Amino acid sequence: MDLNPPSGENYANPRICFFHVLFKAGALAFYILSALFFDSFVIIFVVTVLLSALDFWVVKNVSGRILVGLRWWNEIDDNGESVWKFECLDQESLARMNKKDSWLFWWTLYLTAVVWIFFGIFSLIRFQADYLLVVGVCLTLSIANIVGFTKCRKDAKKQIQQFASQTIANRFSSTIQSAFTVV
Amino acid sequence: MSHEDNNTVPLPLPQTSQSDIENLITASVQLAPSTVKPACPPSPTTRASIPVSTSPSFPSNPPPSLSKSSTYVPAAPLLHSNDPNANAGRSQPNINTLSEPVRETVKRDMLRIVSNLKLVVFPNPFREDPGKALRDWDLWGPFFFIVFLGLTLSWSASIDKSQVFAVAFALLATGAVILTLNVLLLGGRIIFFQSLSLLGYCLFPLDVGALICMLKDNVVMKMVVVCVTLAWSSWAAYPFISTAVNPRRKALAIYPVLLMYVSVAFLIVAID
Repeated sequence: MDLNPPSGENYANPRICFFHVLFKAGALAFYILSALFFDSFVIIFVVTVLLSALDFWVVKNVSGRILVGLRWWNEIDDNGESVWKFECLDQESLARMNKKDSWLFWWTLYLTAVVWIFFGIFSLIRFQADYLLVVGVCLTLSIANIVGFTKCRKDAKKQIQQFASQTIANRFSSTIQSAFTVV
Repeated sequence: MSHEDNNTVPLPLPQTSQSDIENLITASVQLAPSTVKPACPPSPTTRASIPVSTSPSFPSNPPPSLSKSSTYVPAAPLLHSNDPNANAGRSQPNINTLSEPVRETVKRDMLRIVSNLKLVVFPNPFREDPGKALRDWDLWGPFFFIVFLGLTLSWSASIDKSQVFAVAFALLATGAVILTLNVLLLGGRIIFFQSLSLLGYCLFPLDVGALICMLKDNVVMKMVVVCVTLAWSSWAAYPFISTAVNPRRKALAIYPVLLMYVSVAFLIVAID
């Protein structure tokens, strides 16, 4: 992945991109700036964790779907076993996804996790257990999304290959059959 | 997500040339039905309700098995889900969740929280089969309940409000995790997130109790209210935990849960 956004096209979903970044940036900004304005840790905690949870929900349910066409969730099947499901759009739609959208999606996803890790290290150094709690919660949410979507992307690639090779094999066998019947 | 590593099969067929193979490849790609571009905001022309049996969940995540979602019937993109056993009937809901509007997702998640709450906390026919009841676990409900309890306790406290909140949140969150590990280590058959979700939902009665205690300051009334809500919480949690473990180890699994709820009840009563 490169540092610069791919040029030559605009964002296909500017509103979704905006929301995708809004809650992440909001949680980080509130965490940084709150120490200047608020004395009470409770407000900092609740607002930051709430923004982080909202961001998690938005990324998982909205921007993941629309910006990169991926989705993941967990189900419990009839045997009581927990199954993680990953789904993606078919390869035609995937190929038509806006490159800028997906660049923004993946970059901000990884970047926020890195920033939260930095904050965690800071609060660890300063022995502030409460702030470590906040950072811990936000980090867990970010990492959960990263893991889910990365797994989803690997699955998407695998399925594209499977589908393509399967279709080619089918077409070949039908061509061969028709060739032999003609002959 | 590109096609650069598509494997082409180089078979030397006497009757097909290289260009024919390329034609086959492009034909196979075009076999996928033409889809609506997901970037376009979908405009509902026809709406049909299809009962969704699964729904995406928050690792916290909430899924209900009883909610419905609207679908856009004709132009839904084709989906592949990572389940080789998925039959044609199951693929229907998947198509809808990837192309549904945001409002539907929100509505679905809210309905899920409400239905989970009703299943866990209030009397209902599913209590004999707890495994089925919380199949669609979600962590949004527990998150709200824990935060609400922390806020209520913190509001009632006259000093050290931040500390009270932090302690309450940390106690409840780590307590839920540890209790789940306890059940799992006792050889119980329960799923981690399902149990976390359950323990969070069972906090609802204590939330109500804490709210009442915050509004009225009578000591006797507080004791009565807290006892009632504690009994309600324990009654709600009991079937799920007890059926998950070996009957001989039931007490070992139930006792820590009751202990945690009792300590929360003490917190509520003792706060002033």
